Amino acid sequence: MKGENLELIKTKFLQEFEGAKTSKERRKICKKYLEDELSSVFASLKKLSGKEKAELGKEANNLKELFSSKMTMLKEIKKEKDEWIDVTLPGKKPALGSIHPLTRTQRRCAEILSHMGFVTVEGPELESEWYNFDALNVEQDHPAREMQDTLFIKQKNREKLSPRERLLMRTQTSAVQARYMEKNKPPLKIIVLERVFRNEATDSSHEINFYQLEGLMVEEKLSVANLQAVTKLFFHNFFGSDVDIRFRPSYFPFTEPSFEVDVSCTICKKRGCSACQRTGWLEIMGAGMVHPNVLESAGIDPSQFTGFAFGMGVDRLAMIKYEIDDIRLFYGSDLRFLNQF
Amino acid sequence: MKFSYNFLQSFFKKKLPPAEKLAEKLMMHFFEVEEIEHLKDDIVFDIDVLPNRAADCFSHVGVAREIAAIIGMEYEKPKADFQEDSESISDLINIKVKNACSRYTLRAMKGVKVKPSLPYIQKRLKSCGIKPINNIVDATNYVMLEMGQPLHAFDGGKIGGEDIVVRFAKKREKIVTLDEKRYELYDDILVIADEFSPLGIAGIKGGIVPEVDKNTNLIFIEAGNFDAKTVRKGSQKLKLRTDASSRFEHGIPPEFTKEALDRVVTLIAKNGGGKILKGALDYYPNENKAKEIIFLAQEVRGLLGVEIPLKEIERILRSLEFKVRREGDTFYAEVPYFRIDISIKEDVIEEVGRIYGYENIKPVMPTVQMRLSKESASVKMEKIFRNLWSAIGFSEAYNYSFINNKVATSFEYKNLIEVEKPVSLEYKYLRPSLLPGLLENIKENEKNFKEIKIFELGRVFFYDDVAKEKKMISGVMAPDNFYEMKGALDVFFEKINIEDISYFPVQDENFLNLNRSAKIISGDVVIGYVGEISSEIRGKINLKKKVSVFEIDFEKIVEIASEIKPYDQISRFPFMIRDLAVLVPEKTLHDEVLKEIKNAGGILLRNIDLFDVYKGESIPEGQKNFAFRLFFQAKNKTLSPEEANRLQEKVIKALDSKPEWKVRK
Repeated sequence: MKGENLELIKTKFLQEFEGAKTSKERRKICKKYLEDELSSVFASLKKLSGKEKAELGKEANNLKELFSSKMTMLKEIKKEKDEWIDVTLPGKKPALGSIHPLTRTQRRCAEILSHMGFVTVEGPELESEWYNFDALNVEQDHPAREMQDTLFIKQKNREKLSPRERLLMRTQTSAVQARYMEKNKPPLKIIVLERVFRNEATDSSHEINFYQLEGLMVEEKLSVANLQAVTKLFFHNFFGSDVDIRFRPSYFPFTEPSFEVDVSCTICKKRGCSACQRTGWLEIMGAGMVHPNVLESAGIDPSQFTGFAFGMGVDRLAMIKYEIDDIRLFYGSDLRFLNQF
Repeated sequence: MKFSYNFLQSFFKKKLPPAEKLAEKLMMHFFEVEEIEHLKDDIVFDIDVLPNRAADCFSHVGVAREIAAIIGMEYEKPKADFQEDSESISDLINIKVKNACSRYTLRAMKGVKVKPSLPYIQKRLKSCGIKPINNIVDATNYVMLEMGQPLHAFDGGKIGGEDIVVRFAKKREKIVTLDEKRYELYDDILVIADEFSPLGIAGIKGGIVPEVDKNTNLIFIEAGNFDAKTVRKGSQKLKLRTDASSRFEHGIPPEFTKEALDRVVTLIAKNGGGKILKGALDYYPNENKAKEIIFLAQEVRGLLGVEIPLKEIERILRSLEFKVRREGDTFYAEVPYFRIDISIKEDVIEEVGRIYGYENIKPVMPTVQMRLSKESASVKMEKIFRNLWSAIGFSEAYNYSFINNKVATSFEYKNLIEVEKPVSLEYKYLRPSLLPGLLENIKENEKNFKEIKIFELGRVFFYDDVAKEKKMISGVMAPDNFYEMKGALDVFFEKINIEDISYFPVQDENFLNLNRSAKIISGDVVIGYVGEISSEIRGKINLKKKVSVFEIDFEKIVEIASEIKPYDQISRFPFMIRDLAVLVPEKTLHDEVLKEIKNAGGILLRNIDLFDVYKGESIPEGQKNFAFRLFFQAKNKTLSPEEANRLQEKVIKALDSKPEWKVRK
């Protein structure tokens, strides 16, 4: 008994096995080798001793393993016919969570704008009157400061405090602009995607808190034409390149000139429908060239730098994108809603 | 604000474009026309005139001027032509202005026949939502709509004394207004008064006492320029808003008073006859001076990003009634007195741009230097954390930033930040924790779902000497399962590579079930908690289900979390496995035992699995048995059985050295 003999048996087996035409023949071959061939191999092993016996024994075992694995496979092939399953029965779903549609929309906005080089920055929700109004050129007696839509914080002797000490829940992400410009010198290219607050009764399109996207760019030379190009690129990426964009005159204390920016209705394609109140246009964004007073109050020289800024409601973008008709769904945490995202 | 198409047409000789066309033009160059209402013989535009243009455009003349500039048509200002009588107003009365009024002008008429106004006046008033009364009152309202200056006419015969005074009301002074409503006044409300009592609330509404009636002979007509803030505050305090007050609130050019009075006496005399007394009493101590703004052609080009011919710039500004002079590339533009919104060159350039048309500007991408835009750890980690919790199986929620009084008292929150006059008491306090909102979410979802897992990443607010806010991340799970929640947290910390996390029973968070809740500790800093809501709280907030919760201080982990850690080399050498059972008192913490094993096992002890915790039969009362499987492995060789035995012995010895613990052999 030698190693070569075992090798020979293996080759012979494989030849016969591959040469066989039916699985019945193959089974026969396996059986023959497992019973007849192997028993004579093991019988001859008994005559050996020591190291030689151990080595050949190991090889003989490998051979046995080979024959029986082929045999097992043949049995399984035969069995498969009886293993029919109904492939139309429901699958077993893994329990995934979900990412909120407002998070998704914010991410999409940030992604597009970061490709253009805008970086996301953050600011506090609990803000001072200074950053929310004064620093943004909203005068002391501007109607927006009155109680109607700003959520002020209850403070003792509020009247005696300075605007930097008087607290409110910020009404606009523009407050972050003012903060950022104070600490960072131009050139600047930032976006803010955060929660803002209005003290107003809620309905299908108004909430006490909602989200805004704010963009700010300050460079040595920027123009309305530049602002138009950046917003156009943004909307073409967000809604698709078939939307039209138009700039209309508007007024904000912190920009000059100021614009209202409309996007052609994504639902009716300007034919007029209920979503766009039959105008064919969706009013989506406020924008403008940063007012020199705003730059100045942040310590930036308006004769050297110009800037543009734009802002819009993220909730509204999400509502248009996902065709959601009630803003309150975002804050209701109904899993039947959330799990769709 | 409502505008009559016929009224606007009256300023033009040529026909205006059809209403829809005109509205479109106004929207693209001026302000939005929110609604077009077709009446029987007029069309009404509801134009959203924004606050900066209220001064000159809360009037038909103002809007006509805009139309003229936009479509390039000539318009004609309404005329004042009248004959004055020889009798002079100054012989009849004096005016005294004491407070909050930069100009006050008064004219008088005598012998006017009080009767209905001409039909065209009545119609235009109605189109704009004003009820016609008589030729005198209607004329004052008509001129207000026309020119933007509120006017007030009153009966000179019903005035006591020789002065008309503009002053703040005295405390508790009372007035009955024209609509027969009674108001108690405050000392910061401006009134027009005679020697004895208020005749009207300045800029807001007239009083009933000097009302013009059919017996009136002497009429005084006032045109004031009252302080905007005073009128707004007064109107808010009295909860009385009128067409007049909404105009004063936004500020009006003082030049209007004289023009408007001249126009109103023209109208009254034409229809009602009577005589116009000579002169006008006019208090106007600080006359406004015309502003001149200087700018360069390249500044227009620079800001708008379009080349507009110099001639076109001049034409646009002249059409808006600027006086323009140009020397080469330098423009000198004198601002018309009615444009109190214009003070810097950007304001003037905006005028050029808007009339020129923003649709005529070709978008051009900015040319800038390339720079790295790098987001902060906080922004980056928010993204990663949200992704992880969603992958772990939690749905993301956005709850309100507020809690009501009931929640505040149920959780016994301290140091809450309170909101001033919220629209609803649901928003009384800023939330100091994300938990109440999430527990509310469980209640709302339990009728539809058996298993609920929700998380939120958001800001909370509290006083800590000063008002503060911070980000938190919190999650809830129903039905409760402490170990599943803890396992979720372990996966979370593993994936953000925070390795030194440990848990310790809570002692002081009363909203938690103290027997089933833990502080989460990183190093030696408490970063949050995980556990079960106490039944007492559940009772208070009416939450039937037991719920597992966690809350982690975002700010405390954001800096130590990381996306990347070096790859830990996989050993090519096999494990040597040894099992170990140890008896400990029932309340001994697993972590205490684990710590001892780790210390004794050293670096070659690669892994420890707890595979059984057993109490009961064959275990002494008050004790429990931990069964551990220890995995020994070296990175550079195969450990021999003897080496593994030695290490195991070391561990056993360490455990046995504790008096209350006993390794079972």
